[in-house]
Amino acid sequence: MIQRQRMWKKNLYENIDYPDNYTDKTFLDELKKNVHITEISPLTAVFGAGLVTQEMCVVVFFVIVYVYLYNGWIEPETVFVQSSLVAAVAHLTYRTLLTKNNYYEVMVKDLRTVLIFVVFGYVLSPILKTLTDTISTDTIYAMTTFMMIIHLIFFDYGVPAAIVSSSLSLNAAIFGSVCLASRLSSPFHAFVLLSNAVECFVLLPILLSKGRGSVTVLAAMITVAIYALWTVSLIMMFLFVCVTLFVTVLCPFWFLRWQNYKDNIYGPWDEAVVHDTQM
Amino acid sequence: MGGVEEHIFNLSQCLISRGYKVIVLTHSYGERVGVRYMTNGLKVFYLPVKVFYNQCVLPTMVCSLPLIRYILIRERITIIHGHSAFSALAHEAMVIGKLMGLKTVFTDHSLFGFADASAIVTNKLLQMSLADCNHCICVSHTGKENTVLRARVHCDRVSVIPNAVDTAAFTPDPSRRSTDTITIVVISRLVYRKGVDLMAQVIAEICPRYPQLHFLIGGDGPKRWLLEEVRERCGLQDRVTLLGSLEHSQVRSVLTRGHIFLNTSLTEAYCMAIVEAAACGLQVVSTKVGGIPEVLPSDLIYLTEPNVPSLLLGLETALANLRSGNVVPPLECHRRVASLYNWMDVARRTEAVYHRVAGEKSKTLGSQLRSYMASGVLPFLLIISLAHLMLRFLDWMVPQQNIDIAKDYNITSHITDLHHSNGEVHSQTYRDRRKLSWYEPALSKQQMNYKRVF
Repeated sequence: MIQRQRMWKKNLYENIDYPDNYTDKTFLDELKKNVHITEISPLTAVFGAGLVTQEMCVVVFFVIVYVYLYNGWIEPETVFVQSSLVAAVAHLTYRTLLTKNNYYEVMVKDLRTVLIFVVFGYVLSPILKTLTDTISTDTIYAMTTFMMIIHLIFFDYGVPAAIVSSSLSLNAAIFGSVCLASRLSSPFHAFVLLSNAVECFVLLPILLSKGRGSVTVLAAMITVAIYALWTVSLIMMFLFVCVTLFVTVLCPFWFLRWQNYKDNIYGPWDEAVVHDTQM
Repeated sequence: MGGVEEHIFNLSQCLISRGYKVIVLTHSYGERVGVRYMTNGLKVFYLPVKVFYNQCVLPTMVCSLPLIRYILIRERITIIHGHSAFSALAHEAMVIGKLMGLKTVFTDHSLFGFADASAIVTNKLLQMSLADCNHCICVSHTGKENTVLRARVHCDRVSVIPNAVDTAAFTPDPSRRSTDTITIVVISRLVYRKGVDLMAQVIAEICPRYPQLHFLIGGDGPKRWLLEEVRERCGLQDRVTLLGSLEHSQVRSVLTRGHIFLNTSLTEAYCMAIVEAAACGLQVVSTKVGGIPEVLPSDLIYLTEPNVPSLLLGLETALANLRSGNVVPPLECHRRVASLYNWMDVARRTEAVYHRVAGEKSKTLGSQLRSYMASGVLPFLLIISLAHLMLRFLDWMVPQQNIDIAKDYNITSHITDLHHSNGEVHSQTYRDRRKLSWYEPALSKQQMNYKRVF
């Protein structure tokens, strides 16, 4: 009587009838692909890219203010008053909408913070102005460009990625603005520029984070940025339009196209994830 | 001594007894440089190559080439067997060996994911290295699936041969167990991937429920502080004993003191620890990860999900069965493990792989380069070509006929086989044996009976 071969089992002790390099039909049965993939619509992709464009616009606003101050096209007093008014209105709106209780207490605390910043900023502006005075202008511009790129790369766009570093992003932007401050004519000019830097890179992102994904805000910011650049340089305006189109249209298109090639592999070999680490 | 080193040492001994000449190549360990002889004439070369990170040598591909070539010729090696995906020396030696017309076998002892950056790089390097390897061995079926996907090796070129346990060294001794308390033994390196975070939470939650429970933890590592913190915070100083680092020879004496063995690994290709624990007659509670579900029969292990509630349930089931006596007796447990896993069987199966690769034709340089081209990393072809040119130069500079052939180490005129054939122990002469070389990350200082050759 012929003995039938025992059925192969996925263990290390029962398959003596089979060669060691035998591959069963159940091979890779537990393989899973693209388990945690979330479908991204074209609109979501464009809005996501829009956040990068939005932050680019903020950088453009800051640089435009610097160019205007540097060329003497606008008085620093005008910039300071106007930016302070805009910041005050924005802050009041932000607090009114978000602070439910202890409204006055919070406002007093905020006012104290602003006073400390203004006093210390004004007192230290001569030091900040001369801080990078000895460095040549082209080096300053190169450094500022590099710092603003770092700011844009590490900025928190609301994605929990390892590359995100709010502190590095903010420090890079402030360092870039300190570099530019040394090119201005007086300590007061430097103070105004640094105040503007704080408004652009510290306060404005907080406000914009509440209106994330708003088409109106994005469109308005791009329009203002393009107009502001047009008053300074047509070449820069054209370059900005190209970069904006690349980031807001082409990148999401590529992203959606490459999503089809995504091939994440999962299986029993993956390291288990410890979720409940609180004791 | 780690699992890979244990595997190499035991398998080498069995292969020597089966008539093979085995030499081991590894890098230097501090002052430990040169040639050493270990049990039964196992020759170990500690190459004068410095480690640069995590017990790995810098993968230069060409710096060690003259030395490796010299040893391969001098020892008349015919098969190179590399171990561990992390061993740069193993991969270097396999590539050099292939260029010299030798056969190569590779054993993968680890599992790797596909998502993180380090895995992507390691997988690509493995794919490059194994593109022209004759055969691969994995220690579990899950390991085989992983290697086939990672290294793009054809599944027919991958065999599954598990690790084994020296059952003579891991015997049960129920008399050493405490009668008034239940001892749960944990023996592992205290690192994240061994699930120390889970272990700490399990200890914190189960100890208040069972006052008669004691934990005996052997091993050391960067996560030890977590267990110490739990012990302090929960006031378990008298119930949780941290033994620190253990020699492999001490493991059995710790295991025999326990009733239950707990393994909380987050990933594992085979897990030697659970087999050793089962051989000592302990009930095993383990996470169901990697190749662990393949290792022991269901009545010898309680498999749990890698989370705290599931581990607690597994331990409570084991405790309930222990109380009711519904467990496999320690001696029966040992007998079954001994029948499932033994090094002679592993050696016999590994020998079948050697026979298979020995029968394969040697490739020309062109076909080797075509194999490496399949990995998609074209600059690697330049390294292979450079290595080939260096070998040709060395063939002219130091011809093979000018290299002294090493004399085989004779302990006696013959070696008695460790295994029984047809019910009787038979002998095999030490001459004209097949030559085999192992390339491996390490052999530890704790190995016995070594002599230094000056």
